[in-house]
Amino acid sequence: MRNKVTMTVDGLEISVPAGTTVLDACLDNGIYIPNLCHLDGMEHPPASCRLCLVEVDGMRGPVTSCTLAAVDGMVVHTNTDEVRELQKLAFRMLVSCNQGNCRVCMANKRCDLQQIAKFLHLPLRTKQMRHIPKDVPEVLTDHPCIVYEPNKCVLCGRCVYVCERRGNPFSLSFANRGFNTIVTFFGSEAEGVEDACRDCRACVDICPVGALSFADERERHLRLVEAGKGRRKAG
Amino acid sequence: MARPTELLASLAAPARNEWGKIRQPERPLITVGNATCGRAAGSGDTIAGFREALAEKGIGADIRTVGCMGHCYAEPLVTIHYPGFPPLLYQKIGAGEARVLVNSFLVAGEDPCFEYLIGALEPNDTFPTLMDYPRYLYEKRLIMEHCGVIEPGSIDQYLAVGGYRALARALEQGGERVVEEITAAKLRGRGGAGFPAGIKWEIARNAAGTPKTVICNGDEGDPGAYMDRTLMESNPHQVLEGLAIAALAIGAERALLYIRAEYPLAVEMVEKAITDAGERGLLGKNILDSGFDLEVEVFKGSGAFVCGEETALIQSLEGKRGMPQHRPPYPAVVGLDGNPTVINNVKTLSTVPLIINHGSDWFRGIGTEDTPGTAIFSVVGEVEYPGLVEVPMGTTLRHLIDEICGGIAGGREFKAVQIGGPSGGCLPASELDTPIDFDSLRRAGAMMGSGGMVVMNDSACMVEVSRYFIDFTQKESCGKCTFCRIGTRHLLDILTDLTKGRATEEDLDELKELSAGIIKGSLCSLGKTAPNPVLTTMRFFMDEYLAHVRERRCPACMCRELTAYYIDLEACARGCDACVACCPTEAIFTTSNRKKAIDQEKCVKCGECVYACPPEYDAVRKVSPPYLVPDQGVVPLGKDEATEGGEDDA
Amino acid sequence: MNDTAYAAERQPDPEEEQVLAVIETEIPALPRDEHQLIPSLQGIQNRHGYLPRGGLVMVARHFGLPASKVYGVATFYNQFRFNPPGRHPIKVCLGTACHVRGGDIVLENFERKLGIVEGETTADREFSLERVACVGCCALAPVVLVGEKVEAHVTPSKVEGVVTQVEIENEMAVRAAEREEQCHGKTD
Repeated sequence: MRNKVTMTVDGLEISVPAGTTVLDACLDNGIYIPNLCHLDGMEHPPASCRLCLVEVDGMRGPVTSCTLAAVDGMVVHTNTDEVRELQKLAFRMLVSCNQGNCRVCMANKRCDLQQIAKFLHLPLRTKQMRHIPKDVPEVLTDHPCIVYEPNKCVLCGRCVYVCERRGNPFSLSFANRGFNTIVTFFGSEAEGVEDACRDCRACVDICPVGALSFADERERHLRLVEAGKGRRKAG
Repeated sequence: MARPTELLASLAAPARNEWGKIRQPERPLITVGNATCGRAAGSGDTIAGFREALAEKGIGADIRTVGCMGHCYAEPLVTIHYPGFPPLLYQKIGAGEARVLVNSFLVAGEDPCFEYLIGALEPNDTFPTLMDYPRYLYEKRLIMEHCGVIEPGSIDQYLAVGGYRALARALEQGGERVVEEITAAKLRGRGGAGFPAGIKWEIARNAAGTPKTVICNGDEGDPGAYMDRTLMESNPHQVLEGLAIAALAIGAERALLYIRAEYPLAVEMVEKAITDAGERGLLGKNILDSGFDLEVEVFKGSGAFVCGEETALIQSLEGKRGMPQHRPPYPAVVGLDGNPTVINNVKTLSTVPLIINHGSDWFRGIGTEDTPGTAIFSVVGEVEYPGLVEVPMGTTLRHLIDEICGGIAGGREFKAVQIGGPSGGCLPASELDTPIDFDSLRRAGAMMGSGGMVVMNDSACMVEVSRYFIDFTQKESCGKCTFCRIGTRHLLDILTDLTKGRATEEDLDELKELSAGIIKGSLCSLGKTAPNPVLTTMRFFMDEYLAHVRERRCPACMCRELTAYYIDLEACARGCDACVACCPTEAIFTTSNRKKAIDQEKCVKCGECVYACPPEYDAVRKVSPPYLVPDQGVVPLGKDEATEGGEDDA
Repeated sequence: MNDTAYAAERQPDPEEEQVLAVIETEIPALPRDEHQLIPSLQGIQNRHGYLPRGGLVMVARHFGLPASKVYGVATFYNQFRFNPPGRHPIKVCLGTACHVRGGDIVLENFERKLGIVEGETTADREFSLERVACVGCCALAPVVLVGEKVEAHVTPSKVEGVVTQVEIENEMAVRAAEREEQCHGKTD
């Protein structure tokens, strides 16, 4: 039996098993903290999306809750002004280089960005910030059956993580650097990749924003959207 | 079993003997500064010039190549030891000057060529010595003492000047005592953050896990700083000695030097030094018969500024993308391959042997109370004497720039000094009395960083300067975290618009808001410090930002879109073609009265014509905003029927 | 980011085929420890001037890593390039001191003169153009590296001279070769 620790989050007392991260502790207790790059059971959270910020009594400034272990007696605030300001700024940054055409996107209505936008009361297209697309092609098709759209991608790295966890010998990886960082399937022309990836689906299913999709499913989806538009126009 | 110090003494004795002969040569000895900067300035030609001239005259003389003294303005630097003379230091010696030196001085020891002389290295009755110059007088060369004096490829010369004595002593004292000494000396990491080295060592020493590793961080990526390179090129053994002492202190069995691949000479020198030290039993197995083993290797960094960050550097060593990781855990506890790892900067490690030799009390007597020791800066830009300068901590910026570096070159006005590279800040004249140490600089809004210092005169536009640094950090951002990846890109976009006169006052607010967010939200120190140049320039030079926004004007006439060149017809000399010849875009044409004018459509605003125009005419003018170019009623030659000689087209 | 090999549909290149054949022979001698991945890539680039895509796949197979990982590592670092360099690689320093003295205008002039942008190689593979962060010759700014040679104080108007210098040297070499051939022709 693992020990339990008790902490206070936004005035609410919660008990979680020792070793749980503050982020998991909150999520498990129905306190939502925006997050993109976090996955259950990650040993070394990348802490890259910078959305899951919280303030903790006794600590200087907002800290990422995914990298913070819950400690007995900890007092956490998830909704201070400073936390919200930074979350909003980070979110605006993310959508400022995002294509954001939700209507035709396969992730429409189940997209994490939509959820976070709703939570932070922000539009999905920021007017405050310039729109700067990445300097990379809009659609990359270097995989035999999976399509990658860099301008939808938020570089959370979930796909890279799950693919590696499955031990796929042709896993995907980050490529390039800085603003033009992308996810790459380099080398996936190899034999057997197509079938294996169709069976696995892990990266496509885990993507929070629909940046990865199977080419044929995407095609079908776009046709349906197109048809729907036609119907609406006719009606 | 002999004690390490005794063993070392027996190694050093013949070396010292040999060194004495070199310093008091029977025949002329010429030493040429042949590190990267010397080579770039043409030291290869200098050496060839000496060889040729010596052979022609049949003079027997030795030529030795040494590292860099840091006097970049004077390269190629040559020292001549001529029997009967004190060693004399000469500046800017090319092949031609080498020939003159041979013919006038070395032939018979008559004329020591005062026109090339800087001064004598030793006190004497005839020649001015280096100490007669403020540049040499006010510097305190501790770490760089032997740079440019001893041959970097010679372990004997390093031994002769007392090298590896600190290692021998440390081996006798044991690691714990070494950590105590370094902690007592309050040595702070010279890589930029200023974390106390002793505390870092202690954490690693007490941390579990083997093998432990010490890493010398020579991934100097700051554009405009090259002191680490100079130390590795000019005195690699001192770095190795510090590295070995650090390894002993934390109980490491292996040591790595992470050196930028762009520094081939540093890699070569350090690799040779490792081999030589290994052969003398100063590295490798059973060092100085003490039972302490240390394997040392060089790893070449592939060019990513972010790899100066400890966790990114470790990722890169493990064969991964050099992306910083969340800390804690700190590398001193969980580092390379999960084991305790200490990463110290080249300058930090080079200081270690001095502290062990002279003691922590001596060290604390130099510099300031919170930051003892010296700082090395590479001062570049518009000063009279650019180069590497080592000064005690606490020296004021004004003293460093005005006295030691000779002030602003060309009689122009000081405007700002950018300290600490891309993560540092720009300080104006009003902040020049800030003492140089970690905390004072940080309070002023700049930082020590890696020690890059760019001095700018009134021709530099602060908006453009901050755009330049953000462009750099933006390109070098690893792309992992949102704030740094996207935030710096937005900063760059706004700053670029500013320099083109397209930004609004709301953009200025956005700059501040973004900067504050990036500082608070970024994962690693690259992001956390990236907005510093923007914030400091906005704080001290807001009027310039406003001029760019409100008047579409660049007060320094540097932003090209906001500036135009024209030729003052009153000043232009009839028939002179100097500017036409230099213009890379053929934008300059001859007017109907055979003067010159600039076609604004073709002009790329490179400013070449300003330099090409003979000073006695000085006819090229620069204005901002561009519409201020006066209408001088220019008619191109040949387009005007009334003009005689309209038949020949310029 | 001109240098990253997005263009999946690349023409087969006989010169590259040759390079790949040589790389294939070098692969077995490489270590297999992941720590040695970057040094191995550096070695290949030192020998061949660049990292062909096919070479990355071979390296990955040897190290037992996914090709995407190796590609990801290679595209992270400034040092690695994926197109063959020109016979005369030109590197324009854009370190702080060089920038303040007009390094960007020098780069632009090279781009104009050579008809390529930074990161590219001319069609005849004679020149390639790159920017480098700092070559550490700040007191000689602005600085340009032509091959291994440092050109100091390169003002924009010197750009033409630097390119012409190389062209003249080439022309001289061609003529010398022709003369040689003629001489040989006579003696034969």
